[in-house]
Amino acid sequence: MYLIFITNYFPWLTIVVVLPIAGGSLIFLFPHRGNKVIRWYTICICLVDLLLTTYAFCYHFKLDDPLIQLTENYKWIQFFDFYWRFGIDGLSIGPILLTGFITTLATLAAHPVTRESRLFHFLMLAMYSGQIGPFSSRDILLFFIMWEFELIPVYLLLSMWGGKKRLYSATKFLLYTAGGSIFLLMGILGIGLYSSNEPTLNFEMLTNRSYPLGLEILFYIGFLIAFAVKSPIIPFHTWLPDTHGEAHYSTCMLLAGILLKMGAYGLVRINMELLPRAHSIFSPWLMIIGSIQIIYAASTSLGQRNLKKRIAYSSVSHMGFIIIGIGSLSDTGLNGAILQIISHGFIGAALFFLAGTGYDRLRLLYLDEMGGMAIPMPKIFTIFSIFSMASLALPGMSGFVAEFIIFFGIITSQKYLLMTKILITFVTAIGMILTPIYSLSMLRQMFYGYKLFNTPNSYFFDSGPRELFISISILIPVIGIGIYPDFILSFSVDKVEAILSNFL
Amino acid sequence: MEYIHQYSWIIPFIPLPVPILIGVGLLLFPTTAKNLRRMWAFPSIFFLSIVMIFSVDLSIHQINKSFIYQYVWSWTINNDLSLEFGYLIDSLTSIMSILITTVGILVLIYSDNYMSHDQGYLRFFAYLSLFNTSMLGLVTSSNLIQIYIFWELVGMCSYLLIGFWFTRPIAANACQKAFVTNRVGDFGLLLGILGLYWITGSLEFRDLFQIFNNLIYNNQVNIFFVILCALLLFCGSIAKSAQFPLHVWLPDAMEGPTPISALIHAATMVAAGIFLVARLLPLFIVIPYIMNVIAFIGIITVVLGATLALAQKDIKRNLAYSTMSQLGYIMLALGMGSYRAALFHLITHAYSKALLFLGSGSIIHSMETIVGYSPDKSQNMVLMGGLTKHAPITKISFLIGTLSLCGIPPFACFWSKDEILNNSWLYSPIFAIIACSTAGLTAFYMFRIYLLVFDGYLNVDFENFNGKKNNSLYSISLWGKDGCFFFKNKMHLLGLLTMNNNERTYFFRTKLDPHQINRNVKSITRLFFYITFFGTKKTACSSYPHESDNTMLFSMLLLVLFTLLIGAIGINFNQEGIDLDILSKLLIPYIDLLHQNSNNSLDWYEFFKNATFSVSLAFFGIFIASFFYKPVYSALQNLNLLNLVEKNVLKKTVADKIRNVIYDWSYNQGYIDAFYGISLIASVRQLAKLNYFFDRQVIDGIPNGVGITSFFMGESLKYLGGGRISSYILCFLFFLLIFLVIFYYF
Repeated sequence: MYLIFITNYFPWLTIVVVLPIAGGSLIFLFPHRGNKVIRWYTICICLVDLLLTTYAFCYHFKLDDPLIQLTENYKWIQFFDFYWRFGIDGLSIGPILLTGFITTLATLAAHPVTRESRLFHFLMLAMYSGQIGPFSSRDILLFFIMWEFELIPVYLLLSMWGGKKRLYSATKFLLYTAGGSIFLLMGILGIGLYSSNEPTLNFEMLTNRSYPLGLEILFYIGFLIAFAVKSPIIPFHTWLPDTHGEAHYSTCMLLAGILLKMGAYGLVRINMELLPRAHSIFSPWLMIIGSIQIIYAASTSLGQRNLKKRIAYSSVSHMGFIIIGIGSLSDTGLNGAILQIISHGFIGAALFFLAGTGYDRLRLLYLDEMGGMAIPMPKIFTIFSIFSMASLALPGMSGFVAEFIIFFGIITSQKYLLMTKILITFVTAIGMILTPIYSLSMLRQMFYGYKLFNTPNSYFFDSGPRELFISISILIPVIGIGIYPDFILSFSVDKVEAILSNFL
Repeated sequence: MEYIHQYSWIIPFIPLPVPILIGVGLLLFPTTAKNLRRMWAFPSIFFLSIVMIFSVDLSIHQINKSFIYQYVWSWTINNDLSLEFGYLIDSLTSIMSILITTVGILVLIYSDNYMSHDQGYLRFFAYLSLFNTSMLGLVTSSNLIQIYIFWELVGMCSYLLIGFWFTRPIAANACQKAFVTNRVGDFGLLLGILGLYWITGSLEFRDLFQIFNNLIYNNQVNIFFVILCALLLFCGSIAKSAQFPLHVWLPDAMEGPTPISALIHAATMVAAGIFLVARLLPLFIVIPYIMNVIAFIGIITVVLGATLALAQKDIKRNLAYSTMSQLGYIMLALGMGSYRAALFHLITHAYSKALLFLGSGSIIHSMETIVGYSPDKSQNMVLMGGLTKHAPITKISFLIGTLSLCGIPPFACFWSKDEILNNSWLYSPIFAIIACSTAGLTAFYMFRIYLLVFDGYLNVDFENFNGKKNNSLYSISLWGKDGCFFFKNKMHLLGLLTMNNNERTYFFRTKLDPHQINRNVKSITRLFFYITFFGTKKTACSSYPHESDNTMLFSMLLLVLFTLLIGAIGINFNQEGIDLDILSKLLIPYIDLLHQNSNNSLDWYEFFKNATFSVSLAFFGIFIASFFYKPVYSALQNLNLLNLVEKNVLKKTVADKIRNVIYDWSYNQGYIDAFYGISLIASVRQLAKLNYFFDRQVIDGIPNGVGITSFFMGESLKYLGGGRISSYILCFLFFLLIFLVIFYYF
């Protein structure tokens, strides 16, 4: 037994992926003894999974190796050449750790949920599996299956525990993502079945393949649409404000923290790695779209009255930086994009969590109805201020490093002309002015002033130890990355170099 | 002593434990932290004193050797880009750090008393120490990235401190305005940094300057692009130092507590922009165009600040505009290339202005006991007057600060301002004329403040009679509760209002200058006040302002000492053999465009010639101010004066018109705020609305439309295929009919 643990052949990733959902299905066997047991059981499963992941990554993952590690190959369907194939590299280790971290905290944040507690917690655990799945799969069909698998819990979570318009937004979400998935499936089948009798679904073999340019562009567009819906890239972003506006805040944390990152991850993993020629054609357009998205979403966010929608648009705006980083085709830019994936995962999740806790107390969603919350709730005020600052890229926080490195990526990119670089940088930097306008005015409308509430049962208590714990445990990595970004960059540097070597 | 310099990277981090500890304490153990509140002042002062000793030591070494110490270690390593952290200690750094720490310590001591009754006492000290940390980090940083990082942190501290009293909506707006305006500058700074990185490939100051100069001399770069980058960099300084187009945040920033205005918005943070320009001067100096732009912006700010300061009612806003004007002088000096004069004025102005702000804080503090905690009133100069009797020490220190700022000889600002004015004659006569006349204006508005505040009688009682917001019980106390207990006594005066109505309207009709009416009415209302005085004897003790506590006076008096003596470091007379000029020694490799051929020290004759000119200008300003604002001691005398003026009616109307125009211009802040409000803010709002509409209706409309059409199609299909035989038959017959018709007719 001991031998198994120290060898490389222990199926770490399979266990990490399967454990939450397997543990989750046991919830239904529990006797009816209140929600408390279920809650703690779920949190324990999440924690165990997170610890397992960290352990595996600490001891069996070598940072200086850009190749795939911790690989597992099990034949699943014989005639289709379909494998249960897992493996991670520098690109996916960050998102996986982020997933474990955020999901555990989201489960902790979901403490107040009492309605249908069993189902809720089972779905959270199912989400856990479904989110780690795409990040760690090395088979393109398995990637697709995991990608789709994770939609079901999100849909249920949205449609059962949400605001008034939850059915509308859940349906919208499902239709959008399912619509995107069609393109994803077509792309995957096209890539898999191209030019041979046997379907090849393995990422490694696909990486070294080349296609006729027209076909490659076609594939690229298909994947791009699928990931643009998820990521989201304008104009496919409208599901996001609706979904975030209606969902319960623990779901929001998962959506903003992880789900959006899957789109960006897919862009790097499939579009950049498998289709480099098409990517170099499309990357200027990506940069343009990204910079437009930053400004467009930031200024739209300014016009929102609904708090959660405002934060949702702000995350759309921040995703623009990732797209620019991916499009910049430079080492620095891509590293910045990956850092932004992690950084926004933390910041976005924390902002939604804080907005949700505020909503729990006030029962108000519109910013112009709020005001003067700082006096009854100084702790929430403090933490909300800190995260607003983080979201507007204050130095010392992770957002700043990410955006700054992306800026450097644009400047140092060798592919573009000087004029384009100046224009893109200029337009992107305007977003830097717009961001404080919306995030600080949000802060001002919520907390500043002295408004007295006339809401029924308006007794507010400040955040308790649980909420404080969640916010601080998100705050620590945010500041940590802001002060020492090499921590995250060291994961991805070698892999990024390997990816970009295809473009030269 | 080499080892000291090896450890001087620690300078910015010494005050850091205080905000961290207070922050953690407040979040996790709020009650314990609050019980220990006064204890926290000591470590913050203590740590800052350590830094001060450190920096004094460093600057002594600088004087003797003038070495530049620079150590670098890497922050992130990437293939293309390596960000490095380091520190650079040169004369500029040591001057700035001494300035920051001395003013910082005095302000900390002062605010221990000033904020002692505030609920946010701990928060205040945490913010203040955080500010000191980031400001020290800013001045010791060795590359542009580090500058940018601390630049933003300083801006954030300023944001937090302006919005310190967050229950006030005005403060909430002001802090957001300050941050966003500064962000506009940061936008320029960031783009400038990126552009410079693109040109030179380095961010380290010394490498940067070297590469840049080489490139310029060899003509290897696009000059247009270089100018653009330099302009963008200068944008950052414009915003931070409140220069002309982006100055709008500074007056509003006065919503913060007064010690903050002294430290951040007068002495240190606004000097950050100056610091940046001074630091990058080797870069700017090779592009003459940029130097002209800097001087031009400087002179515009000088004039604008001075004219806007002419008719402010709020004492702190008035001082803020004066700060702006003085910063304009410094910027002008930098633009002219006289590095030494700029730094000299930076130092002297910082101490004088800190003194003035602390003095105004003391005045506000003493007024608050009478008029209540509303900045509309406690800072309103119209309501002050005659504080000489009640606050003599404050009066003396304020007077010294005022005289120093006016440029009266023995005080600090005289020496530096004189130098700037002299240099401006060498640079361009037009600029010199403007700068000199503005020096007169400076004297005018400073003495206006002084006379309004300290001369004559207390005007508070007038407040009850000047219309609109009588007995404003509206003013909310800072923290929302336990408010308005000072207003109770005003209730008794309410009955007098109706009685006095006639007189009031009469006086308002006859005269235009509100200040003079104030005095008129005051002398009459005073009588009524005394009548009611006996009725409200219990509260009467609080109806006179009192002198501030010793802690506050202590730091003010220390600043008085600085103001008296700091001028000595920059006086350059070499004739007597004794070289007092520490500043020149510090800045040995200093850059001077104007005195390149002549030797540095002026001779006595020339010095006196220039000095008499500037001093006489200052006295002229003081004289005019005392003519306008010298209070007239009784209503009778005032009437006489009125009659005297009444004789030449025609002249009076013209003069009044001019005065009104100036007054309106100044009171409305030069209409610049209004312009920004109409043009920028409204357009951003419009854009936001438009985008929101577009997003809702068009982008979201498409999927919704698809959804609805498919829904209707499904419904109609369902209806058709509803399984009703009759409808099938109807359909069948209908199509049969059509078929038959077609068949028969064609």
